[in-house]
Amino acid sequence: MQPITLRGRAIVEGHCKAEALVSTKPISFLGEVDPADGKVSDKNHDLCGECIKDKVLCFPHGHGSTVGSYVLYSLAKKKLAPKAIINQKADPVVVVGAIIAEIPMIDQIDITQIKTGDLVEVNAYDGFVKILKRKED
Amino acid sequence: MGVYLTREEERIYDGEFGWANQICMKILVRLGELFNATRLIPISSAHVSGVSYKTLGDAPSDFLEALANDNAKARVKATLNPQSFDREYLRKKLPTNLCQKQSDIITYFKKMGFADSLTCTPYYLENPKRGSHNAWAESSAVIFANSVTGAWTNREGGPSALAAAIIGKTPDYGIHKAENRQPKVLVKLERQLQSEVEFGALGIYLGKILEDKIPIIQGLQNASKDNLKHLGAALASTGMANMFYHKDKQAKSNKLEKINVETKDIKQTIEDLTTTSKEPDLVFIGCPHCSLNEIKQAAELIQSRKVKNSIEFWVCTSRHVKEKAKKYVEKIEKSGGHVLTDMCIVVTWTEKLGIKTIKTNSAKTAHYTPTLNKAETIFAPLKECLKTAFKG
Repeated sequence: MQPITLRGRAIVEGHCKAEALVSTKPISFLGEVDPADGKVSDKNHDLCGECIKDKVLCFPHGHGSTVGSYVLYSLAKKKLAPKAIINQKADPVVVVGAIIAEIPMIDQIDITQIKTGDLVEVNAYDGFVKILKRKED
Repeated sequence: MGVYLTREEERIYDGEFGWANQICMKILVRLGELFNATRLIPISSAHVSGVSYKTLGDAPSDFLEALANDNAKARVKATLNPQSFDREYLRKKLPTNLCQKQSDIITYFKKMGFADSLTCTPYYLENPKRGSHNAWAESSAVIFANSVTGAWTNREGGPSALAAAIIGKTPDYGIHKAENRQPKVLVKLERQLQSEVEFGALGIYLGKILEDKIPIIQGLQNASKDNLKHLGAALASTGMANMFYHKDKQAKSNKLEKINVETKDIKQTIEDLTTTSKEPDLVFIGCPHCSLNEIKQAAELIQSRKVKNSIEFWVCTSRHVKEKAKKYVEKIEKSGGHVLTDMCIVVTWTEKLGIKTIKTNSAKTAHYTPTLNKAETIFAPLKECLKTAFKG
């Protein structure tokens, strides 16, 4: 396939290539992600049971307690953090979390274009996401 | 557009002053970009939330430890929100491992130069100057500072207030700009409010309908600071407004959206905050932490009565105010009550202490305890709270 490029705004610099994990729901890292294993633990979340480790985690935006920023740091220390974070609209909790955990982050991306399982390249220096390979290819 | 940095700020951003300073600067700059700030402004003080181990859990300890070990130091007066227990009464009742983890968190903060004030009312320790810029977390303190003392602060999160303390600056956006401090709504009350409970109920009611719009509330000219504190704390619990006007301001009221609050709305809100008719295990006052005047009031109403055997009676305040209130504190403790410092009910493990029903005069506590403490609540004015707690 021809790679599809989605342009957004770079928030935390970095570069990676990894599999996408896409949610249509906001995520609170405090209470909805288990800091012990990096799995989404909230029963009402569409990613419930999925592990965010080493994924390009795409979700609309964060919500909930500012303690959520620290949870991202803690996940990174345990090597359970996502490889990159892609948001529709960045919010303070996720931004601060990505900075302190040093996770590349881009926002202002139409995440509905990305499907779970797609291989994506994240360039968070220049602020774009490239869909390299669709899951069904 | 971006955040313009001075030479010194740029050097911190580039890491010349080490990792801890760099990461704190990055937090401020990125948040500034997010909210379209064009510069950082110096602050007079910072107040940090996210201190209690009950809310934090283990995750932040690693980050706080790393900052402290990299010699991060607060550049301005920096205070801390309450922790999960007081140092005497509850510390002995709670599991040692939890207390140790809480103590570790405080140790890291102290190493970074934070005062272990452990209160949600830093304005009783030192009133921030009118018109000064500050970076405070703790929504009840933020709204009190902006509305009652006239100091300016956004509602920070724990991490952003921490970064502001270390750098001594905050991005210039939101309520730091005069144009964002203008009222949008005129609130008219059907009749004057009578007790702290009615002030709290008004806050809970308005927060749900105002979203982040700043109101002028008419009819509060004679309201005490204690009652305005209860109103603000409640308003910030259910809404995102960080300020209210309580004096009829010169604002052109014809341009404002109008809201009428009827007596029945207040009455209904008070009723809704009560979830049970059972006898409480705990009668609690001091959310936000009691002022000297509130402790005095309680002590005087108690007279020589004694607390019932089946009930705990707690008064929460800061160490600073407790010290000043010595003679009233003695009276309360002689009656069988406990004057507890450094802590807050909603960030304490009340479940582990067997507390299932709480009676309080605090609308904020009544709003949060059903979810955060899994407790039933009874919301009533001080006099009624004391009637329940005391014999005779």
